[in-house]
Amino acid sequence: MCSGIAIAWSELPLSVIETHGLTERVHERGGEKEVRFLWQARPTLLPVWLDGRIKVAAWGTRDRRSSLPQGGWTWEATIESGGWSQSRAEPVDVPATFVSAGGVWTRVRHGLKGLAVETPAGPVVYLICRPSTRYYRVMTRCEFQPVLIGEVI
Amino acid sequence: MRPPEVRIVFFTSVVDWNPLKADSDSLKIPHLRELAMIGHLDADCFYVSAERVRHPDLVGKAVGVLGNNGACVIAKSYEMKAAGVKTGTPVWEAKKLCPEGVFIKRDFYWYEVLSRKMLDIVGKFSPRVEYYSIDEFFLHAEPLYRGQQLHQAAVQMRDRIKEIAGLPVTIGVARTRTLAKLFSDTAKPFGAVAVTNRDHEEHLLSKLPVTEISGIAGRRAARLEPYGIRSCLDFARADGRLINKLLTKTGYELWEEINGRPVQKVRTERSPHKALARGGSLMGSVDDPVKLWAWCVRHLERLCEELAYHNVRTDRLVVQVAYKDHEPGVGTAPLDHPCGRFDQLLDAARVGLRRAFKGYAMPATHMWVMADSLRRERGFQMSLFESPDPQRQRIAELKSQVNERFGRFKLRSGTTLHLPAVYADPANDFDICDVRGKVCF
Repeated sequence: MCSGIAIAWSELPLSVIETHGLTERVHERGGEKEVRFLWQARPTLLPVWLDGRIKVAAWGTRDRRSSLPQGGWTWEATIESGGWSQSRAEPVDVPATFVSAGGVWTRVRHGLKGLAVETPAGPVVYLICRPSTRYYRVMTRCEFQPVLIGEVI
Repeated sequence: MRPPEVRIVFFTSVVDWNPLKADSDSLKIPHLRELAMIGHLDADCFYVSAERVRHPDLVGKAVGVLGNNGACVIAKSYEMKAAGVKTGTPVWEAKKLCPEGVFIKRDFYWYEVLSRKMLDIVGKFSPRVEYYSIDEFFLHAEPLYRGQQLHQAAVQMRDRIKEIAGLPVTIGVARTRTLAKLFSDTAKPFGAVAVTNRDHEEHLLSKLPVTEISGIAGRRAARLEPYGIRSCLDFARADGRLINKLLTKTGYELWEEINGRPVQKVRTERSPHKALARGGSLMGSVDDPVKLWAWCVRHLERLCEELAYHNVRTDRLVVQVAYKDHEPGVGTAPLDHPCGRFDQLLDAARVGLRRAFKGYAMPATHMWVMADSLRRERGFQMSLFESPDPQRQRIAELKSQVNERFGRFKLRSGTTLHLPAVYADPANDFDICDVRGKVCF
């Protein structure tokens, strides 16, 4: 699975960083700042392209009372079989420079594919996943992998 | 674009000089002539640099490129090297050594593109270039102007490659290939060095252990050790007859090269293959004979492409299978007459695999299909029993044309359908051995 993503500091609008208090999530890698969105961080957030802008949305849910599925991922096959059709979910792009899975960071070209559901509290985004390719499984020891935009690892 | 400042003049003669007949004083040349110098160009952590060309944000970060299975680091940046990651380190160990490191799936398509670009640039400096490997070239180098330093030419070439291809390289220029390679290694990264006098040579050689010489590793070094030959300079100063006795002709030739007498030429064309092979890891342990056969067919299809490309046929096919807990199995299948077509070689591959197969409960890890007895397409004796089969020939040609037009393996044997994961990943379509024209392998 994908346990987190990182996006270059320069790719996030300053207003977004300030509004969501993302400065605590800033790390430095090789002398460059990046903002990390990790599943274990609280609140669990993800950057997402919505209405032509990068926004920050909730990454899935852990709330058992929520009508939405728990967790931060959804199977590609579930979407294709209509499992989300009642939720008015929309496919979205999640911008990312690096993806972390199984403790291994890897570079991605454009980002990941996600599914956004509008709730009264704001959008909730799930990362779309599929069973890992052998390569990804060996590399990360994860059984499922995120669906990337325009590439497969 | 041709660089305005530098011109490369060919050097075609090889010094014909037998040191066994020469006096020892002739070894100490005070000023080496700047003619007939050989350059060695080595891209700095090439795969990583290639990734940095398309992802400039990776510059300055610890980066490791993973091999065909996604398990081991096959190239690492200097930053990752500083963290203790070596070539061959498994990713699960590398991530502990370098938690901030970025690991990238290999992309040999892209690496070849940049390699050819680099070759093209080098070709503008010296049309006499040996494409030794995807990231290493040898070339004949001489300055354009009388009095111009070779060092300047090397710097210009290095900078031009960085400017146009975006790749950092190191260039060493010396009297022989072996010296040039040794000295370029000392100048890494992003260095350019021309060693044009013996004092400079000796100074550098004295600092290098003899094992730095390509071709002298542990066992050979152990043979030299009792004679006090530990550094490259010790090796250069040793008696040639002793080296010949200890390391045979190969070692003696290295000794010649270390003393500045060229033995190994710059080869602008690869010599014809004596054997062709395709194979490698089976991406895990395979004990299902159906899957083993599918792998064998996959490798055979790749091999047939190579046979066609090199315009050769084979009259023998060898299948080698490496097993997890057992000795490798080797199966040889002679053919009635030299063949190169897939349908002709399929039965031989079946025989070869059957002979290499050791049993149902023995998981195999690697497999190679080899054609080790090659004949040029028009240079073999036809068998009395060989009948032309124009229909099958046309089918083979059609398959080749379809794959050329629509992509490799678009039309392939149905047997390979047992390997869906292999063909699902386009990165598996192109391996380092598919980069043609390299001299090293």
